[in-house]
Amino acid sequence: MAKLCMGLFSGSLDKLTAAGVILSGAAADDMDVEVFVLLQGARAFIKDNESKIDNVAEATHLKDEFINSLEKLNVSKWYDFFEMAKEMTNIKIYICSLAGKIWGGEKLGDFNYLVDDLCGIGEYLTAAEEADIHMFI
Amino acid sequence: MEQLELQDLKVDKVVDARGTACPGPLLEAKKAIGTISSGEIMEILSADEGTKRDIPKWANKKGHEYMGTVEESGYFKIYLKKG
Repeated sequence: MAKLCMGLFSGSLDKLTAAGVILSGAAADDMDVEVFVLLQGARAFIKDNESKIDNVAEATHLKDEFINSLEKLNVSKWYDFFEMAKEMTNIKIYICSLAGKIWGGEKLGDFNYLVDDLCGIGEYLTAAEEADIHMFI
Repeated sequence: MEQLELQDLKVDKVVDARGTACPGPLLEAKKAIGTISSGEIMEILSADEGTKRDIPKWANKKGHEYMGTVEESGYFKIYLKKG
């Protein structure tokens, strides 16, 4: 089975949606996936923060058009993509501990239902080294 | 397979994924193929252009047989035989 390693730095709605779509593809393909959430990305995974992200987009001038269009096309929310993908294949989501601290998350219980554990940067690089595919979003 | 042959196939499972954009149809196909047995045929209805290339490639990779696609107005039907 192919292994996918994703460094998820972005905590913005547009890139989280892209990450969710990619994870869905990986799930359809039965890939083993490890997601390492870095710095700004961790804000999206703090407990009850999922929908706060609706206000965060990297391309702010496109945000409204983007969100409206997603709704019209009946596209799932980013966290629903993550959840669905996790139900279908082996996906582990790790929060880098520094990233968590930046947004007030110190332990696993501070994060939402998508998160499996906290980790350090060494584990991310080792996973990237061992994966068939590595992407940084 | 020819279009007419495809139209006449006895289908064991129909997945209507016309309400979703990519990756919806692929996910629906993946979920549904787990519910049929090897040798059975599944028909996926999709209105998403990306799916037309995506599902046959996915099927071949996963060991299922891509039998063909029939175009309807505004959507298409993809036929797979489970491997």
